Amino acid sequence: MNALASSYVPQTKPSAEQLNFVVKKANIPGSMAIWFAILAEMSEFAIMFVVYFLAKVHNPELFHEGPTRLSTLAGTTNTLVMLTSSFFVVRAVIAIRANKPKQSANWLWAAVACGVIYLIIKAFEYHWNTTQGLATETNIFYGVYYYVTFNHFLHVGWGSAGLIWVIYRINTGIYTSNEHEGLINMAVYWHMIDLAWITIFPLLYVIR
Amino acid sequence: MTHTRIINTLWLVLIALTLLSAYMAERADTSFISVSIMAVVLAVKGRIIVDHFMELKKAHIVLRTLMRVYFYVIPLLIIIVYLFPEQIARWTAL
Repeated sequence: MNALASSYVPQTKPSAEQLNFVVKKANIPGSMAIWFAILAEMSEFAIMFVVYFLAKVHNPELFHEGPTRLSTLAGTTNTLVMLTSSFFVVRAVIAIRANKPKQSANWLWAAVACGVIYLIIKAFEYHWNTTQGLATETNIFYGVYYYVTFNHFLHVGWGSAGLIWVIYRINTGIYTSNEHEGLINMAVYWHMIDLAWITIFPLLYVIR
Repeated sequence: MTHTRIINTLWLVLIALTLLSAYMAERADTSFISVSIMAVVLAVKGRIIVDHFMELKKAHIVLRTLMRVYFYVIPLLIIIVYLFPEQIARWTAL
């Protein structure tokens, strides 16, 4: 009787199981918030790629000729630089997990250096384009090219600043081998910037 | 193979695939074969970064699928746009 009565007593505190259900973390690298940002940015780039495809089918000659006047060397070098920066970021994550914060910061500095090299190459590329007489208004191919690549340029800029912020956090001892979610968030965001570039590269520089 | 060694190897694979694309960019002709190779190269590079650099290979299925699908759809669009440009232009004319 007592057992039956007690089963009707409303519980004011959630059970351990319920609590566990609430706090159980979904199996995602980093936080849910950064993935919302990444998916939003990937969608933004996807819209630009759809614009590229539509402009291409309506202007086949311009999109055939367009890539031939761009610097394949600059595009290729920047692809290698972006991929290498992503590799450095992965090595930084491996290092922090191995409880080597100094090493982790060094890998991130290498990634920042890649980001800066990327920006310098892109600036030279834009300058070179200008001397060739290529500008946003030259034709729709270059309009799309400048819109997409400058958008990406900005991402590399603030992404590099984000990496420097994470290095500062490592150096102040905030990230440990057990708790470094902020570093993972920045790492996956940087890989997103890399993903956008490896898609832009074949579309604007390679495929005619 | 240790995790670090896998990552090092994948980085070299990504570099090699990029150089292959660059080589194709320098070739004057565009054919179905070359466009298909470029599309597959993009799909493979995207998958490597999503699975191994972002570490989504064993992550939540929704997130993993969303990110993986991106690198099926864009390469497929590259091939479709190469094969049927006039039809797509007709369907999307204002």
